Amino acid sequence: MKENIVIIGGGIAGLEAACQLLDLGYKPIIIEKSDHLGGHVADWNCLFPDMTPAGDIVSALISKAADANIFLNTEISFVNKLQDSYNIMLSNGISIITRIMLVTTGFSVFDASKKEEYGYGVYDQVITNKDLEHWFNTGDDRRVNDSAMNAIGFVHCVGSRDEKARNSQCSKVCCITAVKQAIEMKQKFPEAMVYCFYMDLRMFGKKYEDFYISAQRDYGIRFIRGRVSEVSENIDGRVIVKAEDTLSGKPVKVTLDLLVLMAGMVCSQDSTKVANMIKLPLDSDGFLKSADNVADIIDSPKEGIFYAGACTGPKTVPETLAEARAAALKIHLYIMKK
Amino acid sequence: MRERFLTGYNDFVLPFVCGMLFVLGYCLVGLVRIIMQLPAEDRKKFFISLITPKTLLKNIKDIFLKCLIHVDIWKRNKLLGYMHSSIAFGWFMLIVVGHIEVFLYTSDLGAKALYYPIFFRYFVAETESTMKGALIFFLMDFFLLVVLSGIALAIIKRVRSRLFGMRRTTNPSFLDLIGQYSLWSIFPLRLLAESFTADISGGSFLTKSLNYVFTEFLSNHANMLPAWWAYSCALGIFFVVLPFTRYMHIPTEILLIPFRNAGIKIVNARKGFAKAQVYSCPSCGLCIDACPMGVLKGNIKDTTVYLNRQIRRNNEARIEEISDKCLLCGKCTAICPVGVEGDKLRIAQRSVRKYNFGSDYSNISASEEILRCNKFVNNNNTSVSNPDKERVLYFAGCMTALTPVIRKATESILSKAGTDYEIMDRDGGICCGRPMLMAGRFDQARQLIEKNTEIIMGSGADTLLLSCPICYKIFREHYALPGIRVIHHTEYFDELIRTGRLDVRKGGTRYVFHDPCELGRGCGVYDEPRNVISSAGELVEAAKNRKESICCGGSLGSLTLSFDKRKAMTENALANLTADSPDEIVTACPLCMTTFSRYADRPVTDIAQVLDKCSGPGRN
Repeated sequence: MKENIVIIGGGIAGLEAACQLLDLGYKPIIIEKSDHLGGHVADWNCLFPDMTPAGDIVSALISKAADANIFLNTEISFVNKLQDSYNIMLSNGISIITRIMLVTTGFSVFDASKKEEYGYGVYDQVITNKDLEHWFNTGDDRRVNDSAMNAIGFVHCVGSRDEKARNSQCSKVCCITAVKQAIEMKQKFPEAMVYCFYMDLRMFGKKYEDFYISAQRDYGIRFIRGRVSEVSENIDGRVIVKAEDTLSGKPVKVTLDLLVLMAGMVCSQDSTKVANMIKLPLDSDGFLKSADNVADIIDSPKEGIFYAGACTGPKTVPETLAEARAAALKIHLYIMKK
Repeated sequence: MRERFLTGYNDFVLPFVCGMLFVLGYCLVGLVRIIMQLPAEDRKKFFISLITPKTLLKNIKDIFLKCLIHVDIWKRNKLLGYMHSSIAFGWFMLIVVGHIEVFLYTSDLGAKALYYPIFFRYFVAETESTMKGALIFFLMDFFLLVVLSGIALAIIKRVRSRLFGMRRTTNPSFLDLIGQYSLWSIFPLRLLAESFTADISGGSFLTKSLNYVFTEFLSNHANMLPAWWAYSCALGIFFVVLPFTRYMHIPTEILLIPFRNAGIKIVNARKGFAKAQVYSCPSCGLCIDACPMGVLKGNIKDTTVYLNRQIRRNNEARIEEISDKCLLCGKCTAICPVGVEGDKLRIAQRSVRKYNFGSDYSNISASEEILRCNKFVNNNNTSVSNPDKERVLYFAGCMTALTPVIRKATESILSKAGTDYEIMDRDGGICCGRPMLMAGRFDQARQLIEKNTEIIMGSGADTLLLSCPICYKIFREHYALPGIRVIHHTEYFDELIRTGRLDVRKGGTRYVFHDPCELGRGCGVYDEPRNVISSAGELVEAAKNRKESICCGGSLGSLTLSFDKRKAMTENALANLTADSPDEIVTACPLCMTTFSRYADRPVTDIAQVLDKCSGPGRN
């Protein structure tokens, strides 16, 4: 079939949608800014709750989507609106005329250095969830010192549910990610004390609650309810975390060898850039606005433009994949109707 | 000049005389009451200042320059300055020259002294010798013209305040309007009345010419009395409403200036000096444009001019709302032409609030804290180990604890400069007390001040270094630390560079400096940070800077402003800072830095970071 379908973003949403569209007999075009496919998931090590290797999921998707037209290291330079279609100019000089676009631009990880009181970028022992996954994958991070790992802390909701960080929404996946990463760290350093500082624990998904109970019961991870007020550094270079234990009503102070900040999800700059080019509206949470947040999450208010994945808000991997499939079907039906 | 009437009296003087006696009586009672309301110590200070030649001269000079010439308004806007000084100084000169005239040409005044200087022209006729007073005739007409020009400008200002450099102006109350219209009508009516009698009593270029030009109407002496009646009534109405309008600032300011020069401070929220300030407010509305809360036309009714109005009306609910909302940035105080201290007035209102509980800090042990930061003291805890060397105690404060880069950069600079220093609150310290002071909870603040004083005095340091101007202000103003120099890091860095203890390489980055409220208007530190930045890169200025710098919006002064309401204020302040498109915004307050970096489109850094990046150990 000759219809051009442009998928903006080669993360798991874009790849899954491409696989489905290939199965339906189309030949979609994937535009990816970076030099590899798979997006954030490609940077991850294992996925909750069954510790599925993220690499397996991504490589399976990439091999299935291999027949699509894939442009790596490519960005959209500009988009011209034609009569009933769009002319997309790519940074590699190719121009595409299409009437169907699937936006799968995803999210950005919140810049944890904006929460300066947590000391990311200031103290050597403070890293983010993403840095930790990178270390799991490569073992290469000078901030993580294998030889002396006696106490590790996780701070939940860094840049999520935080008006002062300009993000009032919940990033959905960090609670369970923190539980997962805490367990992984405990497995690597069984002697270390592991603390999680949380305001609420949102264990909404399949088997999440079991995972959390196991973290407490089987791994002895200490969950402290209360936000961290400040982080400082002591003379021998370890970090001191001050927080309030709101359940006992007392201030707590712990000295740690590693502090992991669970940076949340924010709308990516690329999503806003694309939204500007095609004149798509943003919702009040800063993510792209769907035609309807209940009944029609994958439809944009513009004809022929669809969404899948975290560009419309924080999502888990299975949710993203489900949306990608739904979007592929929606595109197929859209083409059939014309 | 000879008197036209044997009695020297006409009924039309009555409205004026009654009004004047009323206003004089009112002011006298008010004066005694305000002085009696002052604390005994302040009252003594005030009376002593009145007989001290130095303050006496300053009082006279200030009253002349501020109340009559309005120099502060001239500096702000020439047209606005001319408008104010033409009315005030012109009217004053009319009264002075009027009196001279009366005393020159009449003898045996008696009760006539009450109204003769005002209505002289009605009661006298020109004689042969009158022309010798031509200068006085000329002066009277001249100053009348000056006042009339001022009134004309005032009328224009009501319609087009932008011409006078004011975007917004106060909404007058009903009585203010009556006072205003009677004031506006006084001088045209005087011109009319004196023009009627110009062919009898004589006049100069204004009144006489008018009399000649409209000779049909003005030479008809039957028309004369109504004009003089109208003139007297306008004066009478103005004086009767004056105590209840904004024009009360005219007599009150004459009292406020000696109070201020005597060094009196606000003690009671509503009485004494505070009352003098409230009544000195001329409702000019300059504070409306100055207020950082006024962006997007918001919170206009929460500015100092409206606070003063509500205090005069005893509207407690609104007083509380206005006092609690304020950011306490002090800009209204800085630009107020009469010197109403909007921030201190609000803190005083907050201090009378009754709370059901008060925090008690007596369980904090200062001696434990001293042990953590007493490295300058010998082991026997009595003497300082190196009494001749500089011993710096660095108090980072709680805001700096939330912005660890500042502390890190400051420590790095101190090490490069070879300063012997100790951190007072490395592992958490006691609050400086300023937030409690701003909330009007003086007792809590005092407890914290006592604890910190004990720690500082026990540390053996000779310099207290602060990187947060919020702390700096309270350490300077409310702590008694004999023998210890209290210094802000901007000042200390400037000193390090000047004395060659720090070597700075100048780069090409364009920096704009944001004057934090507490450092600039609060402590008067403007030049030192600029010196430091100029040695590190190119310094550009914000559209409004120094005394008129705009609050970042993050101030902990406000007790009620919500986070989302502050956003517009921060964005407005950022737009002001980036007017000259700098590469980087530099400030010297951890709170400003956090607030700005939330919305800024370019890096926001503390001055310590800037200096740390481009400095090395100096030669000395």
